[in-house]
Amino acid sequence: MLTAFVNINSFSQVRVSFDAVSAETGSEEGAPVGPGPNPISPEMKELVWGAGSFIVFLILMRLFLVPKVRKGMASRYESIQADHEYASATRDGAQADVARYESAVAEIRSEAARRLEAARQTLDKERTEKIAQVSARIAEQRAQAEAEVAASRAAAQSQIVSAVTAVTTRATQIAVGVSPDSAVVSRSVQQAMEGKRS
Amino acid sequence: MEALSKIVKAAADAATGDEKNIAAAGSAGFAYGLAAIGPGIGIGMIFGSAIEAMARQPEAAGMVRTTMFLGVAFTEALALIGFVVVILLKYA
Amino acid sequence: MIINSILSFEFPPINELLRWRDVVPGLNKVGLIAIASALIGTLIFLSAARKDPKVAPKGTRNLAEVIVEFIENNIIMQTMGRDGLGWTPFLLTLFLFVYLCNVPGIIPFIQMPATARMAIPMFLAVLVWVVFNAQGIRHQGPIGYFKNLMFPPGVPKALYILITPIELISTLIIRPFSLAVRLFANMLAGHLLLVIFALLSEALFQARDRILIPIGIFPFFMLVFLTGFEVLVAFLQAYIFTILAAVYIAGAVHPEH
Repeated sequence: MLTAFVNINSFSQVRVSFDAVSAETGSEEGAPVGPGPNPISPEMKELVWGAGSFIVFLILMRLFLVPKVRKGMASRYESIQADHEYASATRDGAQADVARYESAVAEIRSEAARRLEAARQTLDKERTEKIAQVSARIAEQRAQAEAEVAASRAAAQSQIVSAVTAVTTRATQIAVGVSPDSAVVSRSVQQAMEGKRS
Repeated sequence: MEALSKIVKAAADAATGDEKNIAAAGSAGFAYGLAAIGPGIGIGMIFGSAIEAMARQPEAAGMVRTTMFLGVAFTEALALIGFVVVILLKYA
Repeated sequence: MIINSILSFEFPPINELLRWRDVVPGLNKVGLIAIASALIGTLIFLSAARKDPKVAPKGTRNLAEVIVEFIENNIIMQTMGRDGLGWTPFLLTLFLFVYLCNVPGIIPFIQMPATARMAIPMFLAVLVWVVFNAQGIRHQGPIGYFKNLMFPPGVPKALYILITPIELISTLIIRPFSLAVRLFANMLAGHLLLVIFALLSEALFQARDRILIPIGIFPFFMLVFLTGFEVLVAFLQAYIFTILAAVYIAGAVHPEH
């Protein structure tokens, strides 16, 4: 109540003093005039200018400026969002390409390994074949040589037998004077030699 | 209390303008001193509680800060009304 | 008294500190600051709106977007929620205008916050009062609004004798009064503090007694410190004014809060 009373009171005072000040200011341009305004009560000219500029500012902001700035912000957020989506889509595509490339590489690698294995097996087979051939030939030659050896040994043995038979026959003829039966001699010589050998 | 009674007595006795001004100045200072006590304590309590709340739950700091400023604004209004009353006593 | 006699220094009465010569008849410094702050705010947003929104924001565009996001995230989302975002232009204008009227208090050679005079805070408080009452009537109907105002739900019936007058007075009278007085008194008190320390340090620096001159450093330091403090206060008062307007409007639109 006190403040309201005081306000009303001082408001009228200020009205009066405002009129006085403006009247004096109109007359001379110089140092500040009058005792100054009441520090509490509002002054009419300040109220009018403050209210007017605020209302103009508010209308401008409300109707044009803030919606425009806000729309710009929203559109930029949307474009950033769209860019994000585009980037993630591109990244997914690139990752799919990488996966495809890697699967192709794996396929080719396995194909190469398969071919290598096949070639290796072919070579292996040929090698074993060649080795078998060669060892067969060696065995053949060895058998041939052994046969030759046996033949020559048999020939030599028969020569020795005939020689020993002749010698034995001659020795017996000299010792006994009777020429022995050559068949018996040769058989006994043969027996003696084979017994000795075996 | 003695000072207050002196001031009130001076204000009551004041008849001429100069004495009235002196009494008004004295009581204005006294009025502001009284008006500042309560809000001072109140703002201290608000900030203390807000700091405690923020320390306990740092994730709620934004909400606590907003509410803290609201509380400070309401409490501080009392001290500022005291300040205005001082000017009123001196000039109105 | 002692200081007065030593320095022959007399502190001028407050109304002399607030006395400004009219630039043209009917327009003084406070009106000029109000016009300038409306103009500066308009120019910032005009130059921001003219820039290409697609590229990364720079300069005024960045400033405008920071202000918009501050209002939306720190004021509207905290008090009104998502459906209060339509109030961005009003609260943004309120914040910017109050801030730009507060800031001249610390700009050298201007040194006068326009809100340290009662006119602008009173007008803005009345405007907020009209807006939140109109919103309450629009959203709840005239009968529903005043019913919710006088008989807040969830209170025992016997307490209505006590609560109804308190609520009525606090909503319809105390709210605009404290809104206006808070802003005005904060800015005026800050202005007076700056004036006191400036005058005191000036008087000490020019003292006839040479020994007093170095002492003038202390009020000068205090002046610098208080100027820094006023930077904070200018922002904080604009923020509090706007957030209280948002709280009042939100309370009128949704009575259950």
